[in-house]
Amino acid sequence: MFETAAFEAERRLTGSLVVALGLAALAVMMILIAPGILEDIDIDALLEAYPPALVEAMQLDVMATIEGFLALELYWFGLLIVLGIYVAYSAASTIAGDIEDGTMDTLLAAPVSRWGVLGEKYLALLVPILVVNVAILAVVFVGTSLIEEPIPTADLIAVHLLSLPYLLLWGAFGMLASVLVSRRVVAEGVAAGTVVASFLAETVAEGSDLEWLGAVSPTRYYDPITILTASEYDFLGGVVLLAATAVLLLGAGIRFARRDV
Amino acid sequence: MPAIETRGLTKYYGAVRGVEDLSFTVEEGEVFGFLGPNGAGKSTTIRTLMGFQAPTEGTATVLGTDVRDASALRKTRANVGYLPDELGFKETVTGRRLLEYHGALRGDVRSEELLELFDPPLDRKVGEYSTGNKQMLAIVIAFMHDPDLLIMDEPTAGLDPLKQERLLEFIRAEQERGKTFFFSSHILSEVRKVCDRIGIIREGKLVELADIASLIDRSGKTVRVTLGGAVAASEFEIDGAHDVTVGGGGDASGDGPDPDNLDGSTAVSFTYTGAYEPLLRHLLAYDLRDLSIEEAPLEDVFMRFYGDQDARAVVERVETENEAAEQGADQVADQGAGDEVDQEPEEPQDAEASDV
Repeated sequence: MFETAAFEAERRLTGSLVVALGLAALAVMMILIAPGILEDIDIDALLEAYPPALVEAMQLDVMATIEGFLALELYWFGLLIVLGIYVAYSAASTIAGDIEDGTMDTLLAAPVSRWGVLGEKYLALLVPILVVNVAILAVVFVGTSLIEEPIPTADLIAVHLLSLPYLLLWGAFGMLASVLVSRRVVAEGVAAGTVVASFLAETVAEGSDLEWLGAVSPTRYYDPITILTASEYDFLGGVVLLAATAVLLLGAGIRFARRDV
Repeated sequence: MPAIETRGLTKYYGAVRGVEDLSFTVEEGEVFGFLGPNGAGKSTTIRTLMGFQAPTEGTATVLGTDVRDASALRKTRANVGYLPDELGFKETVTGRRLLEYHGALRGDVRSEELLELFDPPLDRKVGEYSTGNKQMLAIVIAFMHDPDLLIMDEPTAGLDPLKQERLLEFIRAEQERGKTFFFSSHILSEVRKVCDRIGIIREGKLVELADIASLIDRSGKTVRVTLGGAVAASEFEIDGAHDVTVGGGGDASGDGPDPDNLDGSTAVSFTYTGAYEPLLRHLLAYDLRDLSIEEAPLEDVFMRFYGDQDARAVVERVETENEAAEQGADQVADQGAGDEVDQEPEEPQDAEASDV
């Protein structure tokens, strides 16, 4: 048990560290420039320069505090978009990639079940998810303390904890793409593209006739901005995301167990 | 219980035929060669046997397990070794790590012993491996759990001749330990060295199932003689002789301007399927300077199956030949000789039209 998960996890480590390093650097930069921006620039005046619809859609008004600034520039962009894409993309390359390069044959020649293979490859996605989360958490916690603008620890933990269902969902979606599409690059493109599309959908749908579109976007169920600026935790959203994750994984497993490789 | 049994095994990829209506049995303890040109359906058959893809129709059993029963086949695979034709390995890991990983999945009881025979550089990354080294790593993985049945797709591909020979020797030794082998190949010499029986597949259909000895028997002998004086091909229209070629130089290559009578001798070569005595009597009527009788290359035999005509015609002819052979060896010559002359692509077309 878990030989495949361990093997895959090892291979995920380097990429995960690179992403973690990049986002940690982004975090450091944001923490360093935040006080200056918050002091020197008159946010209210700045916001007036933008159309109100845009301000609302992009939640630009929250940028007046360090929590809001980091939520938007780091969590919203770094965790939701960048890490979301990375996880979905990595998941999409698993099964499709192994089939494409022939490794799947060697693997399935062993007495393993396809459900097991899929499950263990999925588990290995916890490496990028956890490594990046821990890195950002550490940098933000230490960094905001150093500049004496500490963010409440409970909020900080909540923003990371509630990101897990969100990222797990994208992993599951990537797995589904990986078993449905036979070419690796196509699977990767579909997975990463859907992450981006879901953002646009959520952003555009807000306050428009297409409100329903936002409801199917995972970003609706995890909002780092509300967590950090208002200390409101959407646990129900997390549950919804986990349920959707289970459904996607189930679909991927059923498909993978039946398909030809 | 046969090690492998297929019953009407059929696999289509959409409208594209993989294999069609394959029925054959591989008995325990035998080495079964599965022959065919590239694209004939060898890998399709093997991948269906391994459970990688589901048959469209018909089915097969591997060590008694139906290949359509995924969970039963999973347990059975613990006792099956598999060598894929396409070597897929994660290139960024070392051979040692891969061996450890696959050992953990299958159980490793003899990799150390195997690594003495097949020795890829374990501490290097697989991405830096040559094809031969990858193949050796795959061989170790296929055998490391000491399975009873080995299913191998083109096992000698990529190995240098020394290692090829070593693998074939190893297969023979393993057979003596009671292991069963099912392997595909398009290289006939390796097949005849180790196989007890063969199946020939062409365009997705099984066209021949035979034991090696009877196949070689049927293919006859290649006779090369050097005779004093001029000889016409018509003089060798004796029972059992086919594809008679007359030319000088002891070999039928014939690049010389006037191959005959350079030293007053003529080389004659032909395929012979009859008994020795009439042949020798016939030859003694000439000034016999040199004589060699060898088994016909298996390649020639297989050319019949890989030739241009469709598989049905091949099967029909093989069957007629078989019947004829049963009725009397003499019959065969009359029946087969005519067609076969045209079908031997081995024979250089422009060479030695000399007297024919």
